[in-house]
Amino acid sequence: MEENRFDRRITFSKYDRAVFISHLDLMRTMQRAFKRADLPIWYTQGFNPHAYIMFPLALSLGISSDVEIMDASLTEDITCDDVTKRLNSALPTGLKIIKTALPVNKHTAIKKAEYEIILSAAQRDFNEFISREKIEIKKKTKKSSEKLIDIKPDIELLGINTKDEEISICVRLPAGCGLNINPSVLLEAFSEFTGKVYTAKISRTRILDNNGEEYR
Amino acid sequence: MYKEKIEKILPSVQKPARYIGGEHGSVVKDKNKVSVRFAFCFPDTYDVGMSHLGMKILYGLKNAVEDYWCERVFQPEPDYEQKMREEGILLYGLESLEPIKDFDFIGFTLQYELSYTNVLNMLDLAGVPLHARDRKDLSPIVVGGGPCVCNPEPLADFFDLFILGEGEKVNLELMELYKAMKQKGAGKEEFLLSAAKIEGVYVPGFYDFEYNSDGTVRSCIPNRNGVPKSVKKRVIEDYDKVYYPDNFVVPFTKIVHDRAVVEVLRGCIRGCRFCQAGFIYRPFREKSIDTIKRNTEDLCKSTGYEEVSLSSLSTSDHTQINELLSELVDYTKEEQISLSLPSLRVDNFSEDVLEKISTVRKSGLTFAPEAGTQRLRDVINKNVSEEEIMRSCKIAFEGGYTSVKLYFMLGLPTETMEDIEGMADTAHKIIDLFYSIPKEKRGKGSVSVSISCATFVPKPFTPFEFEPQATRQEIIDKQEHLISCLKTRKIKASWHDYNVSLLEAALARGDRRLGAVIEEAWRRGCKMDSWDEYFKPDVWWRTFDDLDIDPEFYACRKRDYSEVFAWDHLDYMVSKSFFIRENKLAYQAKTTPNCKEKCSGCGIKKECGGVYCGGK
Ligand code: SF4
Repeated sequence: MEENRFDRRITFSKYDRAVFISHLDLMRTMQRAFKRADLPIWYTQGFNPHAYIMFPLALSLGISSDVEIMDASLTEDITCDDVTKRLNSALPTGLKIIKTALPVNKHTAIKKAEYEIILSAAQRDFNEFISREKIEIKKKTKKSSEKLIDIKPDIELLGINTKDEEISICVRLPAGCGLNINPSVLLEAFSEFTGKVYTAKISRTRILDNNGEEYR
Repeated sequence: MYKEKIEKILPSVQKPARYIGGEHGSVVKDKNKVSVRFAFCFPDTYDVGMSHLGMKILYGLKNAVEDYWCERVFQPEPDYEQKMREEGILLYGLESLEPIKDFDFIGFTLQYELSYTNVLNMLDLAGVPLHARDRKDLSPIVVGGGPCVCNPEPLADFFDLFILGEGEKVNLELMELYKAMKQKGAGKEEFLLSAAKIEGVYVPGFYDFEYNSDGTVRSCIPNRNGVPKSVKKRVIEDYDKVYYPDNFVVPFTKIVHDRAVVEVLRGCIRGCRFCQAGFIYRPFREKSIDTIKRNTEDLCKSTGYEEVSLSSLSTSDHTQINELLSELVDYTKEEQISLSLPSLRVDNFSEDVLEKISTVRKSGLTFAPEAGTQRLRDVINKNVSEEEIMRSCKIAFEGGYTSVKLYFMLGLPTETMEDIEGMADTAHKIIDLFYSIPKEKRGKGSVSVSISCATFVPKPFTPFEFEPQATRQEIIDKQEHLISCLKTRKIKASWHDYNVSLLEAALARGDRRLGAVIEEAWRRGCKMDSWDEYFKPDVWWRTFDDLDIDPEFYACRKRDYSEVFAWDHLDYMVSKSFFIRENKLAYQAKTTPNCKEKCSGCGIKKECGGVYCGGK
């Protein structure tokens, strides 16, 4: 590791109005928050230096989360608690630092993510959909054509409950730099299956490593 | 709940973060604990409006009062507007996410004429009746401010009142009056009658226009007792002490100008005869270095921006510009913030400062000679000589710049083809200059000059308010002539659409009869007129035609010195006799010294706090 570079792994939540901040905008937003918090960011060396802040697992627009990961490097050895405290005083509503730690795993260790989906659908419909032999989605290939792939083997349904008019689904999906399945893809396939339009509230609840443990 | 309705449709629109508020620096209050709610509307998109300094100032100013809550409102992009209309979501404030029709004030800043249809569109989207006369209750009061308010008559039917001049004091006075009136249960008429007594407040409904048989204005007379015959603009006399925000709303999405902005001076000493801003913002006042430094530091700290820019009509006219820049560069360098200076006049700077700036930021070099020959520059009183441009270009080329942008106007009074040739000459000379500098001393690569031509639009409260706008054919002829004069591909010329200029000219010097045209054009689908992709000139011209109103009557007619104008009852402190004097001098190609060299007695009183005003 370079001199005067202090890596921090920051877990934060994204909720309320902040769920509409796109991935790219989040980068800028965080960079400014660091500046306001007077936390000196380490810049990458080389021809085009940029502030080292990165999000190993993107979160789609509209999804809330309590487990987002942001890696940032500082030029001073500021304690983890201090980073948490100072950033929290500089963030807009809907972004909140939960904890700061030293990074343990590489980014490539991220393998799965879990989601809770609250859906305006009948449990019976969803059960029927999820118990099919194949769940095919269209995926764009590199040659800009589309092909069908079966995501059924990748879906791990952890639980499903009905409350009031809605169902709440817990599901584990592949995530990270290998295969990555967005929960909205699953919902689109469901919508196509029933021919109905649903409103959904999705939140990411866990990010897991290759051992099935919490990514650290 | 409104918020949930909004959240439901946001995932399906482009860049939804623009429609949900919650940015750092946005102010959320408890609505039960405030007594006056103000919807500050910018009649253009979020990306444009959020870049506007005036809005940031007034937003901060109002929210600094515990009792008042000011929210931001913009014209949604068409994709979102369509969804809002489908789902029955009324235009809402970004802070509370509640419909603005329930607010006390709905205020629009009128920055350019081509945003007028957006004003109507936003009122409609808010569920508020368009016409002032159809809004009978005390709230919402629809107010307008900004430069276009110097002739607000085309919009008079839709507004309850206009604020003339600088808003920092009059806005607060107005809200205070409103609060008192609301508490005692007063009606709209009573409130407006009292409001009309505040200096800088113009209530259009209290004035009646009469017209001559030739279509010109005969008179504009108050129709209530106790209403001033002429309404004077407001000026901040103690400008160095005026409120300035120490925090901005920092957007999530990229906007046009995404940076901290510090205002360094107001007004302009130069008096270019075509420039409305140069007259309506008089007199020239400036902030002290200490104030500017404090504003800069406060803003950079609280926003986290990595760029700060200085704002004014002409930053280099600050009386202590060298010291100012030197101190600011020291600060910004230390903090790794870049400093940008949009209205840069290189010639004013000492070598020392220039060097400091160039290490911070190197952008393109722009000049606005506005006219192609010295004769015509004297006519318009634009004090830029070719030697100066060449001198500045030389310094800049030696400092590594390789591209130059030149701004000109077509259709200026007394302009001939010789003046058009002059534009091309200047561009060619700049190219030659670049190659006359030894290779190792100039910037790498090739040089490029771009010529950008706007069509001259005569504006109220300028010495050219009497002048006709050039016709479409005249402009086309001049554009073609310019192209035929360009001898190298290193020079590129571009221009604005004449339709835009004609509409702008008609609205700028229009009267109340244009209200019907604006409304009908909007009903026929015109909005976002300042966006090329949405502008529908054919719909506009057909609407004019159908309503039997000729845009050229307003835009392209030579007006007598004795003509009564639709804005004559508004007093921007610079006298009409001064404009007539200046107009005559223009035709003699005689220049007028700037305020710093010699006060020309334009009519501004010494008490207004101008640095150079002699107080005649
Ligand atoms: S009064 Fe004189 S110094 Fe003041 S703005 Fe007018 S011309 Fe300039």
